[in-house]
Amino acid sequence: MIDPLPFDHRRDGVLGRALREALDPGDAQAFVARVVALAGQVRVPSWDAVLARWARAGVAAALVVALAAGYLVGRGTAASPTAARPTVSDVLIAPPAHPAEVEVVLASVIGNN
Amino acid sequence: MADPQPPREPARIAQQDEADLVARAVAGERAAFGMLVERYAGVARRVARAVLGNAEDADDAAQDAMLSALVKLEQYDARRPFGPWLLRIVANAATDRRRRRSVRRVEPLDVGLTAGGPRPDATVERRALNERLRQALAELPERRRMAVVLFDVEGYSHGEIALILGIPEGTVRSEVFHARRRLRVLLADWKEEG
Repeated sequence: MIDPLPFDHRRDGVLGRALREALDPGDAQAFVARVVALAGQVRVPSWDAVLARWARAGVAAALVVALAAGYLVGRGTAASPTAARPTVSDVLIAPPAHPAEVEVVLASVIGNN
Repeated sequence: MADPQPPREPARIAQQDEADLVARAVAGERAAFGMLVERYAGVARRVARAVLGNAEDADDAAQDAMLSALVKLEQYDARRPFGPWLLRIVANAATDRRRRRSVRRVEPLDVGLTAGGPRPDATVERRALNERLRQALAELPERRRMAVVLFDVEGYSHGEIALILGIPEGTVRSEVFHARRRLRVLLADWKEEG
């Protein structure tokens, strides 16, 4: 056995052989035959299958985006009548559109007198 | 049955040869995949057994890893060695299986072995040593187990083991050192007793 130097870069043949024997699973051919037989049932993804999978993901993503956009547009349209309708304070604070209204106010004051 | 390859064979296999086998396996040639399985079955099963302890579980993990590698074969970079790539999958499969295992099943030692009972012949002695080595290995942290098996049994370099385990090379050296220290004590005791 190699002297136990710290971080020895050489392999320990004695320990290696002992461990190899201890871990030896045996019957390699049966294992290989089993794996190869199972490999026949495994479906390896081909390039067209991968493309098809990506295409499906793309269509799904486009659908989600379309739905989100539709929702946003719908919400915007529904909100616009509220925004267009002036509130009472807007009417009172806003400058008069027609200056002639001053005369109407004066006439009504004189009329009251 | 004996392992069809010597311990360090995988590291020596020409990379080009392996890349060719992989390309053929990807193209659907099952015989090429079979050759890869044959080359790496031994090391894959031993590494899995170092992690799991139990031979049946180890074979199941090695098998799962091989089939998983077949599915991922297109992702393999042919400029890199195939062995470390495959063994990383094996190590992950074995670790996952160990985590999933709800009850830890460790094969108990024979009472005769632990009590230092009589050893009628060399075969029994050998079996006893193997059993004790497996037990000692099982007591080590998982990463340490894999590191020492990959280095001293399978002949991979520290750099390759670092790739397989996904840890720095310095950590691999440290793990191998600590594992050896523990296992060498066991082997020395065994010799003195024998």
